[in-house]
Amino acid sequence: MTKRYWNIILEEMMGAGVHFGHGTRKWNPKMSPYISAKRKGIHIINLIRTARFLSEACDLVFDAASGGKQFLIVGTKKKAADSVARAAIRARCHYVNKKWLGGMLTNWYTTETRLQKFRDLRRQQKTGRLHFFPKRDAAILKRQLAHLETYLGGIKYMTGLPDIVIIVDQQEEYTALRECITLEIPTICIIDTNCDPDLADISIPANDDAIASIRLILNKLVFAICEGRSSYIRNS
Amino acid sequence: MTMAMTASQLRWGWRPAAKQERRRRAPVVCSIAIENAQNKERAKLKKLFEEAYERCRTAPTEGVSFSFQQFTDALDKYDFNAEIGTKALHLLFSLYLLSRLWINEDDMVKGTVFATDASGAYVDIAAKSTAYLPLQEACIHRIKNVEEAGIVPGMREEFVIIGENEADDSLILSLRSIQYDLAWERCRQLQTEDAVVKGKVVNANKGGLVAQVECLKGFVPFSQISAKSTGEELLEKEIPFKFVEVDQEQSRLVLSHRKAVAENQGQLGIGSVVTGSVQSIKPYGAFIDIGGISGLLHVSQISHDRITDIATVLQPGDILKVMILSHDRERGRVSLSTKKLEPTPGDMIRNPKLVFEKAEEMAQTFRQRIAQAEAMARADMLRFQPESGLTLGSDGILGPLTSDLPPEGLDLSEVSPAEDMIEN
Repeated sequence: MTKRYWNIILEEMMGAGVHFGHGTRKWNPKMSPYISAKRKGIHIINLIRTARFLSEACDLVFDAASGGKQFLIVGTKKKAADSVARAAIRARCHYVNKKWLGGMLTNWYTTETRLQKFRDLRRQQKTGRLHFFPKRDAAILKRQLAHLETYLGGIKYMTGLPDIVIIVDQQEEYTALRECITLEIPTICIIDTNCDPDLADISIPANDDAIASIRLILNKLVFAICEGRSSYIRNS
Repeated sequence: MTMAMTASQLRWGWRPAAKQERRRRAPVVCSIAIENAQNKERAKLKKLFEEAYERCRTAPTEGVSFSFQQFTDALDKYDFNAEIGTKALHLLFSLYLLSRLWINEDDMVKGTVFATDASGAYVDIAAKSTAYLPLQEACIHRIKNVEEAGIVPGMREEFVIIGENEADDSLILSLRSIQYDLAWERCRQLQTEDAVVKGKVVNANKGGLVAQVECLKGFVPFSQISAKSTGEELLEKEIPFKFVEVDQEQSRLVLSHRKAVAENQGQLGIGSVVTGSVQSIKPYGAFIDIGGISGLLHVSQISHDRITDIATVLQPGDILKVMILSHDRERGRVSLSTKKLEPTPGDMIRNPKLVFEKAEEMAQTFRQRIAQAEAMARADMLRFQPESGLTLGSDGILGPLTSDLPPEGLDLSEVSPAEDMIEN
């Protein structure tokens, strides 16, 4: 286990609003170790814990990436969809930023069939075979391609189940989290004051509503992944 | 329990694989079944994660670069009360709703636009959650896409908070309120400057037209429109306006076309003859539209003879020549007369065409008479106050005592006696 220094600065985190939790009425009492104060009806997350968990998560991710493992980032909130896609593309890992189809991992067999179809359609489009179809068929195929692109666009290069799954909002992605638990895939999750910290393996208490906060945490993890990958490429 | 679950997955997983093999011989097999090696890898990884978690719990501050004290101190600094430009709360009932919020309604906050989508833009303000700027609140004009209003990801701007989304604690922003304020301010300034603005007519209703000026809708009453055309003809046209009333509190914006046009045509001299058409007949006279502005031809000014019913003489739509008596630019009112243009009194009733033809000549004569009447008046003034130091020049203009006055005095014999003048 390598212990590196990840540049986690207090000012940066506070500027992004990582320390804001949800309203007081909506909290989950299991989160009490991670809540430091209550201000104006909103819980304040203890950033010491956040920084600790974040650095731990970055270490793990770095090790995994240097071992050549596959990652999957899941974030389907409308606000966060954009940043999830960008972060994943930068780190060269798979992502799901539109709706998480039920059974994407547990029913991997079917998902893989869909991915096959997606691949075939793309090949057809690239080679221009779509022009040989009659117009109506071509239109239907194009529509199917568009659908598959939106839902499976991020996982089109995935060949097997991922090794580590990073989830952005636990409330939103509850199904994804449950699937990972049944399949025993290690998960890293961003937890807010209304979530359950015991479900995921590493839960990072942070604000999951503000785009800046999500971006910050994703950036740190992605940075760790990139570093790990580059050391993997160097060593192999 | 976990072992049993994996085992059942294994069992379930085999069946479709076998069929598929037979049917297609495609290499798609159930991937869950095969990964014994991968399962072992994953189990190892999971153990690592658990160890990490334990470490976090037992040594909570290891590796963290700041202390708890620093954190609590910095809390105050990053308190996101957007106090910049606080305005008063308009609605009292929202006080309760927003009392638990950090930001008060109607505060201006600076935010950065993160992303745009079909119906709005996401803006990051230093708050609990990202705020949303809906499409209809982005701009006063009606636009289809936030880009048209100039909202692109990455720009920093001031917004006004107008509401809160209860479901996800996000705030709703608006640019419209700020723009409205600016627009009203501009209109007020233009009104004080008495400037002419161009506006587009968008609608017509019972009392007048609705025109859009500076993104605000203003009302133009029919009386304030120059009489060339009303209602449908003027729709979707750009015409100049002047402000009559600008009241933001009551949301009243009244414009006038007549005033703006009167500005242009201020050069119409008194005493000139113009052609006009009859707009409308009223009991006290007729409104004649001359070159864009509407003038009143009072019943007493139509003819020397007494007229009982105007409709016998004038009908709406008649073309006739009138002389301008006076021009009130302030109110955009012009007083007209045809009486002066009658070669013989009573012509208007009997023979309007003759009046029409002779109009120019009569106007000429009238002008001369006016000039001479003025000269007479000044001469009178001189006579009674010779010590005022002024004298009558040869062209009838009062000037200082100079030697260009002919020594034998002015020849006033062509001027008809004063009594005739008064009648006119």
